[in-house]
Amino acid sequence: MTENPHVIKQDLVVIRIIDAPVEMVWKAWTDPKHVMRWWGPKDYTSPSAKIDLREGGKFVFSMLAPKEQGGFEHFTAGVYKKVVPLEFLEFTQGLSDKDGNPIDPASVGMPPDFPAEIRTTIEFRPKAKGEMTELVITEYDWTMGQMAVYSYAGLQQSIDKLSESLKK
Amino acid sequence: MNTTMLNAIAEPNRLRIVELLRESPSPVGEIATKLKLRQPQVSKHLRLLSEAGLVRAYPNAQQRIYYLQAEPFKELDRWLETFRKVWKDRLDNLNDYMKELKEEEKLNKKGAGQ
Repeated sequence: MTENPHVIKQDLVVIRIIDAPVEMVWKAWTDPKHVMRWWGPKDYTSPSAKIDLREGGKFVFSMLAPKEQGGFEHFTAGVYKKVVPLEFLEFTQGLSDKDGNPIDPASVGMPPDFPAEIRTTIEFRPKAKGEMTELVITEYDWTMGQMAVYSYAGLQQSIDKLSESLKK
Repeated sequence: MNTTMLNAIAEPNRLRIVELLRESPSPVGEIATKLKLRQPQVSKHLRLLSEAGLVRAYPNAQQRIYYLQAEPFKELDRWLETFRKVWKDRLDNLNDYMKELKEEEKLNKKGAGQ
């Protein structure tokens, strides 16, 4: 019997209340000028975002690391699979070059089972009489390699925040 | 995160054993029958699972009854939490931006009303 150490797959579900009506939150996800204002990890900026919002349309989001963290620019791109305005988005997402062409994760040092694209869905649910929005984000079929990378990323961010708080 | 544990549950049959034990503690024979595996194979898997700290057994008459240990699974859950953190940070940014935008819109409305 062959043993495959990468067989575990798991869906990642994140639920979060955002303090704004669905109309605003939907725009924040689907209008490039809004995406550029918030996309990316803490202290990153997003210098560009391209969105072709229709089923089969592509998006390319950029994120730029702060100078102290190397100042590299990364791109996330994918294809919208389902678009239900103000309610639901389904898309793929993966590493890409600046034009949105997929990058083989292994070529940039990711583990061999790191997926080229991750199927993602976002549900937008009105809450608090429409004053707030509940987002339900699901990333399907996470692999072990992916988990290891993100857990490292999470750890790194905690370390960054810790060192920041120690400086004060 | 301890890779012995991940390797232990990454194997499909061992994962099925863990899922079965989640329902109820069981002796090796019962596991073998339910999963349609040979008993020596199941014993081997159980040995690996117990070496990884995931299962333990208590004697009952002539049998050993295998059961899951909670602590490693809690550890796994804490580990998974670190992945949710990537989204948490991203959504913190979104939430902050939404607040900002609401303020901006309020100011704009005020401006327009004057």
